[in-house]
Parts: sequence; structure tokens; C-alpha cells
Amino acid sequence: MNPPVLEALAVTKSYRLGRREIPVLRGVDLAIAQGERVALLGASGAGKSTLLHVLGLLDAPTSGSVRFDGRPVHALPVAERARLRHRHTGFVFQFYHLIPELTALQNVLLAGMMATSTLAWWRGRRAARAAAEALLVQVGLQDRLHHRPAELSGGERQRVAIARALLADPKVVLADEPTGNLDSATAAGVVELMFSIQQQRRLAFLLVTHNEELARRCDRIVRMQDGVVVG
Amino acid sequence: MYRLFLAVRYLLTRPINLLGMLGILLSVWALVLVVSIFSGFLVEIERHVRSASADVSVHRLPAWASGKALEQALRDDPNVRDVAPRLVHYGMLGRPGDRPQPPPLLGRTALHGGDQPFLLVLGVDAAAEAAVTGFAGWLRAPSIPPDLRVADPTAPLAAADGTPRVLVGLERMQREGLRRGDRVLLTTGRLQGDGDGQKGLQQISLELQVAGAFKTHHGGFDGNNVFVDREVLRQALFPDRPDAVQEIAVRLHDESTLSATTDRLQRLVVRALDRGDDLARGHVQGWRDKNGQFLRSVEHQRGLLKIVLVVIMVTAAFLMLATLSMMVTEKTADIGILTAMGATPLGVLQVFLACGLTITAAGVGLGLSAGTLTSVYLEEIRRFVLWATGVDLFPLQVYNLDRVPCALEPLWLLQVAAMAFATGAVVSAWPAWRAARHDPLVSLRGT
Repeated sequence: MNPPVLEALAVTKSYRLGRREIPVLRGVDLAIAQGERVALLGASGAGKSTLLHVLGLLDAPTSGSVRFDGRPVHALPVAERARLRHRHTGFVFQFYHLIPELTALQNVLLAGMMATSTLAWWRGRRAARAAAEALLVQVGLQDRLHHRPAELSGGERQRVAIARALLADPKVVLADEPTGNLDSATAAGVVELMFSIQQQRRLAFLLVTHNEELARRCDRIVRMQDGVVVG
Repeated sequence: MYRLFLAVRYLLTRPINLLGMLGILLSVWALVLVVSIFSGFLVEIERHVRSASADVSVHRLPAWASGKALEQALRDDPNVRDVAPRLVHYGMLGRPGDRPQPPPLLGRTALHGGDQPFLLVLGVDAAAEAAVTGFAGWLRAPSIPPDLRVADPTAPLAAADGTPRVLVGLERMQREGLRRGDRVLLTTGRLQGDGDGQKGLQQISLELQVAGAFKTHHGGFDGNNVFVDREVLRQALFPDRPDAVQEIAVRLHDESTLSATTDRLQRLVVRALDRGDDLARGHVQGWRDKNGQFLRSVEHQRGLLKIVLVVIMVTAAFLMLATLSMMVTEKTADIGILTAMGATPLGVLQVFLACGLTITAAGVGLGLSAGTLTSVYLEEIRRFVLWATGVDLFPLQVYNLDRVPCALEPLWLLQVAAMAFATGAVVSAWPAWRAARHDPLVSLRGT
């Protein structure tokens, strides 16, 4: 088996609500290998999204560690964690989170601008634009490049979000209920697209979902309940 | 790169941001325009005051001071070109039989002059006065109508038919309907000892004939002064002191050394008036010092206006703060995904700071341009508004001006720009800081 790209080791996470400490993750261990597709299944409040945020370095664990390519990364400085997120992790969310002022193409290009100086961007803008267009063509939006999110359907918006997540050529994609806001026919199309890209690029893929049927299409199912992995 | 890109997109898609920019633009414009008018006004006022002043004045002379001795002492200074002794006294001028005008209202200033009955009566030798001031030119000013002009400008104060003559400021003549050759009564007084060591006021009335009008550029001077022959005034006030003098006007060869010359003349006057009692007598002042209080009052008004206008800028800044805060509240949803894509809190802060600074830069740039253009073309704008609406925004005759004054000061432009930028940066920083502190997970957990 391939060595894990992303690991959670004895991760706990709790939030403080007034004087009360609310534990959300209670010692989670999880490893995802390169090219592996893992489904994270559980009821609402089980801690799935919190684990995804901790693995994606958007949130820090209360205890335990997160490793990327074997290196502990959870305690890195803010800027370094941001750089890792940009370079190695792509996110796909249930509510797409596209910037409404930007066209589909600009939303994808924005991901390429995150770690680039103005001068470097200006020099490499043609290549970046070609890469973004190619991704949008790959997700079937060749006719929607210059449409704003408000002019796109839910499925199309999620495709833009997928293209955006892939622009920096990440090793890991973390998807938080990516079909939760789509009708079943559209969701099926989006799932097919995500899985085919995952296979092509041999991405480590963590899919948070409530959907058993969707989870069964993954290499492995990890079930969570009350902040712990139960199977 | 994303900071600038997003900032520009956010600004272009939110017309409400124009409000903040407009606020900065208007305040910068007002600061440039109003202050440049006031600065121009100050330059004009100074020019006007200068035109009616001798280079140096020697005054506060003791009653026993000898005019001739002092004149001679002053002439010994290498920078003194000419001197003119004067008598300076207060009085009221009216037609014989007329009641005097009521006294001025409290707080009424003499910027324009001539609107109150009390006058400074200057007793001068016309020829000597012409050598130290623009006296000869004041009688030939083009704006004096022919029927009010002095008949013989070479001897304007020479008595006619035994009646001494008086020169009156043009506007006072016109306002009071005086004509050349009219008889007027100068009423004044002097302190007279009664032999018991007590002094009482003795009224003096001098019947004079109006010789004509004089006009300097300084309306206050014209309105508050009349000229009579020095000998006539001396006989009325100091009949037993043929050498009486109260002020000496001095003209210099080189005005660039005014300050040094004034100091030198001061020492010279003190020495000349020394009676061995170590008391410093006489006061020597350059024209700027002598009119310092008046000039400073105008400058002070400019300072007050600056404060008022800066308050307008602060108000505009609050408008900008409100629009930026609204934008940050609207865009918190974007902060989560920006963070997920690799933005740091500092990067998020810079996005919104860039928005504020761009608004400020646009407001400052347009405000400076508008302020400069309207300052330069102010007279043309005034004429156009007058032509189009009949409304005179800046009545020139009130201030004795040929055109609306304007003096753009590059240093002030820089100060305004710096002040606006600093204000813009401060009011941009708070919403930007709020955006940077926003928890991205709150946005990512759902809308």
C-alpha cells in the first residue's frame, strides 16, 4: 500500500461555549494514501466537517497531530499552513462558495493568484488562463467561461468549484458533501466527474457525505459517531 | 495578486463605494479651493496694505521730540532714502451744521473702512510724503472720477482762498456725496492744562475745503484716513511747538534688509531721544510689523477655515467607514473560501485595505485635480455664474479686488493629500481588521 499523504493522529477538537467545553473530535486516527478515495460517513454532528477542516489546516486540533507527507503540519505558522493549503489541498464545499462578482473563469483563476506576486502573475497570466480554461473545458463548462455564478445552475457552480480546487494541482482534495445541495441527476453527474478526475490525477480524496450509496463507491468507508471513528 | 484583483472587483461591482470616494473628493476639493482663495486673499491684502504704507514708521514719539533732529539722525543711516514727518490725530469730519454720524457698532471692523465717523487725520507735507509713499500716485488713481480728482496734484494741500484743504478717501467721498471744493468741518480736541495742574479737553474745529479724493489699494486706509497740511494741523494742535512731530515715515533704498534696518533705526532713535534717564523712547516698525495684527487676523481666519474643512473631511471619512463596513459584512461569505484557497488573515486584511486605499486615492486624486482646476479658473467660473444666473459669488468691489484672488500652495496640496490618505487609511483599517479577524469556518459551515 502507498504511504499516507494525509494523516490524523489522535486528533481531538473541542470548542468552548461559555464555561462549557464541547468535545467534537475525541481522538481520531485517519490516514489517506495517494490515489485513495475515502468516504467519511456519519450523522449530523458526528464531527465529519470538523475533521475535514482540521485535516485541511483550516482549524487547529486541540491535541494530536496532522501530518502531510509524514511531516507534522498542524502547528506550522499561519502563513506556512496557508501555503500548504494552496499548494497541496483542494476544497469542494456543499454551497460552492464561488465569488459572485467573478465569472467562472475568474473564480478558477483566483486560485492561481493566491500565492503569486503581481509581477509573476502578469508574466505567467497566459499560461494560467490556458490552464483554467482547460479545467473548465474538462468539467464541461466550455460555454460558460464568462458567466457569473448567478447565471449558472447548481451543478455548473459545483463544477466551477471542482475546477477551482484542481487548478493548483493538489495532492489532496477534501470534499464536504459536494452533492448535498444538488438534485439526484445533477449530483450523479458531479460525482462521476469528481471520481474520474480523482482517478486520472491519482488524488488522495476525502469525501464527507451522508449518502451510503455514494460512500460505497469509494475505496474505503470511515464511519464517525460522536467524534470518534467507529468503523 | 489576488488582493488587488479582488479589491478592484469588489469596488467596481459596488456603486455605493462611490459615496465614500465622493465624500473624500468633496472635502479635498473644498480644502484646496477655499484655502487657495484665502491664501490669494492674504497675498492681495498684504499687497494692499503695502501699497498704503511707508517702508518704516517711527512713532510713539515723546511730546518734546524735535522733528528736525530726528529726521537728520534718520537720514544718517545709509539705507534711508527719504523721510517724511507726520502729525497723527483723531477727528470727525462732517459738513458744517450736520450732526455727526452715530458711533460704530461694537465689533465692527475696519477691513473696508469709512463706515464710522472717527478718522485718523494725517498732517503731512505733500512733497515729503510723496517721496516716501505712493502719495502722488494715490491722487492720480485711474478709478477716481475726473470731478473728484485733485485739481493740482503737485500741491494738493495748498490752501485755497485762505481755507486749508483736506484729501478724503474716494469711497468716503462718494458715500457722503462730497464734491471737490465742498466745505467740511473737522472736529477734534486736545488736552489743555488749566494752570492748576489739571488738564481738560479743548474742542477744536477746523473748517476745510475738500481738495479731492485719494485712492490706495487698501480700502481700510482710504476709509479711515484723511490728509491735511501738517502745518495747519500743528497750528491747531501744538501752536507753541513749531517742530512738533508724532510719526516719521521712512523710505529705504533696499527693502530686502528691512528687518536689519529697522533694528538699526530703533537703536538710533533711542539714542537720539535719550535724556540720560535710560528710558527707551520711540518705536520703529517695518510696514509688515505695523500692520501685523490686521494681517495675522486674516491669516487666523484662514486657519479657522482649515479646521472647519478638516472636520468635513472627517465626516467624509465616516461615510467611507460606513460603506466599507457594509462591504465587509456582505463579503464575509467570501472570507472562508479565500482562506481555504490559501489566503492568510493578513491577505484578507490587505484585500479590504486595498479597497479603502483605492477609494481614498481616487477621491484624493480627483479632489486635488478639481480643486486645482477650479482655483485656477475661479474668476472665469465667477463670471460665468454671474452671466448665467445673475448671482455674484464673490463681489470684488467689497474687497477692492480686480479678480477673485487665488494662490495655490504646493505644500498645502501635499498636506491635504497626506491628511486625506492618513484619514482614509485609518478608516479603511478598521473594517479590514474586522474582516481579517472573521472566522473563516463560520462562512464555510453554510449559508
